[in-house]
Amino acid sequence: MLADTIRDARARRQGLRIVAGQSWLDAGRPVDATHTLSVAESRGIIEYVPGDLTLTARAGTSIAELYEATRAHGQWLPLDPWGVDTGTLGATITTATPGPHAHAMGLPRDVVLGLEFVSGAGDTIRAGGRVVKNVAGFDLTRLVIGSWGTLGVVTEVTVRLRARPQSMRTLLLQPRADAAALNELAVKLRALPFTPLAAELVNAGLAMRLGVAKAAALIVRLGGNDVSVARQLDLLRALGPFDDAADAVWGALRQADAGSIASWRWAALPSAFGDTWVAADAAAQRLGDAGVSGSAMRGVVRVSARSLHDIPQVMKTVQAFPGSVVLEKLPAGAWQFVRPRAHDTLHGMLRRRFDPDGVLNPGIMGMMP
Amino acid sequence: MRKGELLAYSADGLPGYTKVPSLAVFPGSADEVIAVVRELASQKAAFVPRGAGTGLSGGALADDVVLLGLNRLRRILSVDPVNQFAVVEPGVVNTVLSREVAVHGLHYAPDPSSQAACTIGGNVAENAGGPHCLKYGVTLNHVLAVRAVLPDGEVHTFGSPAGEEDGYDLLGAFVGSEGCFGVALDITVKLQRNPQAIRTLLADFTSIPAAARAVSAIIAQGILPAALEMMDSATIRAVEASIYAAGYPVDAAAVLLIELDGFEGGLEDDLNAVVALCNDAGARSVRVAKDDAERAKLWQGRKKAFGAMGRVSPHLVVQDAVVPRTKLPSVLEDIHAISSRYRVKVCNVFHAGDGNLHPNIGYDAHDADESSRVHEAMREIMQLCISVGGSITGEHGVGIDKLAYMDQLFTPATLTAMCDLRSVFDPDRRSNPGKVVPVRSCREWTMAPAARAHAG
Repeated sequence: MLADTIRDARARRQGLRIVAGQSWLDAGRPVDATHTLSVAESRGIIEYVPGDLTLTARAGTSIAELYEATRAHGQWLPLDPWGVDTGTLGATITTATPGPHAHAMGLPRDVVLGLEFVSGAGDTIRAGGRVVKNVAGFDLTRLVIGSWGTLGVVTEVTVRLRARPQSMRTLLLQPRADAAALNELAVKLRALPFTPLAAELVNAGLAMRLGVAKAAALIVRLGGNDVSVARQLDLLRALGPFDDAADAVWGALRQADAGSIASWRWAALPSAFGDTWVAADAAAQRLGDAGVSGSAMRGVVRVSARSLHDIPQVMKTVQAFPGSVVLEKLPAGAWQFVRPRAHDTLHGMLRRRFDPDGVLNPGIMGMMP
Repeated sequence: MRKGELLAYSADGLPGYTKVPSLAVFPGSADEVIAVVRELASQKAAFVPRGAGTGLSGGALADDVVLLGLNRLRRILSVDPVNQFAVVEPGVVNTVLSREVAVHGLHYAPDPSSQAACTIGGNVAENAGGPHCLKYGVTLNHVLAVRAVLPDGEVHTFGSPAGEEDGYDLLGAFVGSEGCFGVALDITVKLQRNPQAIRTLLADFTSIPAAARAVSAIIAQGILPAALEMMDSATIRAVEASIYAAGYPVDAAAVLLIELDGFEGGLEDDLNAVVALCNDAGARSVRVAKDDAERAKLWQGRKKAFGAMGRVSPHLVVQDAVVPRTKLPSVLEDIHAISSRYRVKVCNVFHAGDGNLHPNIGYDAHDADESSRVHEAMREIMQLCISVGGSITGEHGVGIDKLAYMDQLFTPATLTAMCDLRSVFDPDRRSNPGKVVPVRSCREWTMAPAARAHAG
């Protein structure tokens, strides 16, 4: 039993590295653990009622399996984490990884209705529920999402689903990629009377890897009923000469992340999207073949690198960004150049409450044990 | 303040409970709130934050402790129309915010029925919902950041307007904490673009199961209405007999009030699909509002339904529970059976699209026998909702009203974890003591003797 393993580790003061699909193993700060706790074998859908548009699955269930199961009912798992689809539901939730569709479909915190986790004290806790609206009690669900396994090991997750639109179209524009032009484009996209399913700008390197363009490209996905999509298309084309692109580019875009050794996100206001983008693109160019992708709707830009040199300088640049900086993944040697977390005391207190002996992924979030 | 003046703050939207605060304080600025909270901290005094007092679970009742009224903090501090957010003080009234940002073609999406009076601070505390949350999400999904003073007097900022942050989701924990984690000083909320087009329709059914089937069919079809509300015959008759008469068919067993909004392109096709689905489910008639006036009238009946029920009986329990949407037909039948058994009159008016029920019971609280039958019927209805995999509250909060059901819904370990979370924000349990998690679940009474002394 998972709870027993945690209690044993606690008694022996042994750190546990929590793993599932292994796609996020090198993410977060280096973990100081001698033992591994795997939830990879805990997989499968527990309950799926298409009429309720809700699904409960074990943490080790792969994203691919959930895509397939929901697709069979014309539905959609509104999570599209970066990386391969063998990645698990548990990892997506505990790392709170937002994908290109997060603006339209919500962040993981908006999608999860409830979850079960085993705390560092070995207690099995069932947070939230399986219904789409629920305010009973304090919100342990949001607390655990994005906690990188440090408050508990997630064993089961309930998510809300979406119906797949009747019609979808993917379009591509090669925009002028200077800051002013991109700021203006982002504002125009946000001012459209509809919300695109996704509007992701990719840099030249990533565009070439995806085989869609040789320069930076904005890839937009529209969805709705047939009439709606046709009308959306008209309005979108008024913003620039969009070409058709294959819908398969969305899966390829997420999976192009495989093989990266470093990734981080910069977030600022959407109106400054162009500035954020230009800064990220410049940083990426110094890293060789780094991919850059940014949500024009959310103002978030992500850099994903396959090699990292001149680490001290890169880390200085990454942390100098004036907005929010989320470090997903770095080579072990790079973390020493990361400023300690400026977290307030609440983080440490939460960690001590839920994992009193610091056995779960010790070190991954850069705070106590 | 004289005792008589304190009586004005002895109740909120939950009937049948009166608690008189020991003192009521109404700071006029964030700095004054901080000063008051620090003074309370130095005296180890318990307090209850309060917005407009419209809450329906007793969350704003202060039982011989200090009541901290925030309704004087009503400034909209800034509006960023391009990035679509506003920073507001906690006492800003929900509809006032929408009215003020209307000039930018924006609005604040969560729309509880009390929106003309309730405050954004109260909405954040309760994680308030409303009819349009079906499509747009609840308060949690619309709050980007909160600056709050914790019960120890320290000021913290959770979240950021950029929407991404490193670390634990303390913002997510704070929203919906029912005033137990501290007091919001300013709140950054998302603003929603006004929809390009809105179509509202009323579908009329001769049986509740038929209306429930229409709800399921619409959801299953993948059409996401802005709102999908159901009212049963008891509600319809109460509304039609009141000044809020909306022209609902009084002989219908149930009506669905359905609103589609958003992009104009294709909206008519969705509307036609919804009409067809209602007809397939057995609707007697489907009426599409011709203009804004008719639309407003249809909505007025729904939004004022609770008020209309006030005409029928002196007291009204406005209940709140959630069930999986596919369970609606059977649950509504079971609720009907329960109400017959206890000889009480349940009026159902609710957010059918989310499965968020509001079985309301009008009664006379001074009639002991009737009160006890109402209480028993409610208890069975709650147990019914729990038994089908639902929840005891979808948007009103636990407050004191739902305390008794918490250990039916959650395991002891889960309730203890909630207490642990609360302890991080408020180790002495001085902020809104005795609410949300039953005292026995976290041994809060033995852990916080100071709060107990003050809470009386």
